[in-house]
Amino acid sequence: MTGPGRSGLAGAFTVAGVLFLWGPLLVVVLFSLHSTAALSFPFRGFSLRWYEEIFSSAEVRSAAENSVIVATVTAATTLLLGTLAAYGLTRTSSRARGPLALLFFLPITLPGLFIGTALLVAFARVEVTLSLATVAAAHLVYVFPFFFLIARAALDRLDPALEEAAADLGAGRWLVFRRVTLPQVWPVLVGAACLAFALSFDEFVITFFVIGPDSTLPMFIWSTLRRTIDPSINAISTLLLLFTLLLFVVTFALTSWSERRRRGSAEPLVVPALKDAP
Amino acid sequence: MLRAGPLALAAPAVAVLLVFFVAPLTAFAVYSLLTGAFYEVSGPLTLDNYRQAVESPLHRTLARNSLLVGLFAAVASVVFALPIAYWLRYTRSRWRLVVMFLIIASFLASYLVRIYAWRTILGSNGLINSGLDQIGVIDDPLTFFLYNRFAVTVALVHIYLPYVVLVLYAGLGPLSPAYLETAQDLGAGRLQRWRRVVLPVAAAPAASAFLFVFVLSAADYVTPQFLGGTSGGLLGVIVQQNMTAQGDYALGAAIAFAMLAAFLALYGVVALALRLTRLDRLRFVS
Repeated sequence: MTGPGRSGLAGAFTVAGVLFLWGPLLVVVLFSLHSTAALSFPFRGFSLRWYEEIFSSAEVRSAAENSVIVATVTAATTLLLGTLAAYGLTRTSSRARGPLALLFFLPITLPGLFIGTALLVAFARVEVTLSLATVAAAHLVYVFPFFFLIARAALDRLDPALEEAAADLGAGRWLVFRRVTLPQVWPVLVGAACLAFALSFDEFVITFFVIGPDSTLPMFIWSTLRRTIDPSINAISTLLLLFTLLLFVVTFALTSWSERRRRGSAEPLVVPALKDAP
Repeated sequence: MLRAGPLALAAPAVAVLLVFFVAPLTAFAVYSLLTGAFYEVSGPLTLDNYRQAVESPLHRTLARNSLLVGLFAAVASVVFALPIAYWLRYTRSRWRLVVMFLIIASFLASYLVRIYAWRTILGSNGLINSGLDQIGVIDDPLTFFLYNRFAVTVALVHIYLPYVVLVLYAGLGPLSPAYLETAQDLGAGRLQRWRRVVLPVAAAPAASAFLFVFVLSAADYVTPQFLGGTSGGLLGVIVQQNMTAQGDYALGAAIAFAMLAAFLALYGVVALALRLTRLDRLRFVS
């Protein structure tokens, strides 16, 4: 007898889905190890020459450094502002709560094209020179909603009695936050900051409009893709994939560990965060 | 001493979003009503840009492409994601968490890398063609799947599928397995359980995922550049060109806001459809 959860068809779709999602990515990884420049079959054996090529390229190195700088600034700023905002909004009963939550969510709903072009126009208008700083500002707008949704979901699910008890025992608000709230949610906040870093590190659609003369890794990939078919792109792409994957493992581990600690389930907090989205 | 409420903690974030999000979009909206010169705009207020945006035959072709690609990508993503979300929600397989991890992780896989991967696979000298050539099935490369709307749609489904799976999975959250078991005990077959229980619950999240994919696909300007060729261009490309090479900020802004108006109209239609079918107000009794 089959229960409701035993649909073979749904399982088949799931297998097909995972293959569809990962197959093309694995192709890129495979050809990053190809010993010839050909991006087609037959496969002529393995080599690390494309990795050697990118590791010796000054252009790639400076683009990677810029990406790290921008993503670090973006993630740190998001962590600070996002935690404050999520904490404030979950601990108030003010009527401004709804409109503010909407404002914090809104950038997700707009395609990057709109955010990028609007910022391009605005920066030109007030005569701000485009640089890595304008890129970080744009990325902050882009990643903020993701961080906010996750942080709010985590803060919303805490037992308010703990904070009330601490306050009743005479702890000030900062002390309550630092000694009661933070120990319960820090893994989720750090995980969400890693997510912010990953999103910023890989952002292209908005970056394109606000970057000026500098380069980031996605900008480098884009310009190489436009010029030629250069097999070293496979190697850069593979490293980029591994790096975001690593960041994601940290996020996933931190958020699901924190959930398991809380209520014995291993659901990563990305899911409840999606549920709360308006 | 003034003791500000907790709401004051949100002030820095509000300030940042006002300066870098609300104000630029407002300025951009105003630009769409001015007259554009080379990287300049000037008054007086006019609707000329919108007329130009709507009347140009090129814009109309691209708008049709955006509509078709957006619809196909959004429908395909939702249809493909639904059984996957169902499996994730109700399976007792020990692979559940692994699959969940693989799906969320692929969401973070680089956007450009994915476009590039599809170009490698679908290209006239790409993997499909070279593979078929190797085993002797074809002599001349097949070209129907590259540099057209199909290639763009496939890449966009690849990019947004993980997100849609997660949204539907979250949407099925309140529908505990007990409901499905009850339906089964009451004599509902597999098809009827899907039609009467699963689909109504998934309708609202599916609609929001549909809108998300549609909007992001229709406004994409990178995927069509690399995979769209001459027949698969989208409206986003023309906005990008006006804002960079062409330097016509006013026209670019007008096309962007005309798109935004179309998105809002579609959102209204979808919200209305949910309300008329009363699928927006399902309640779960425990």
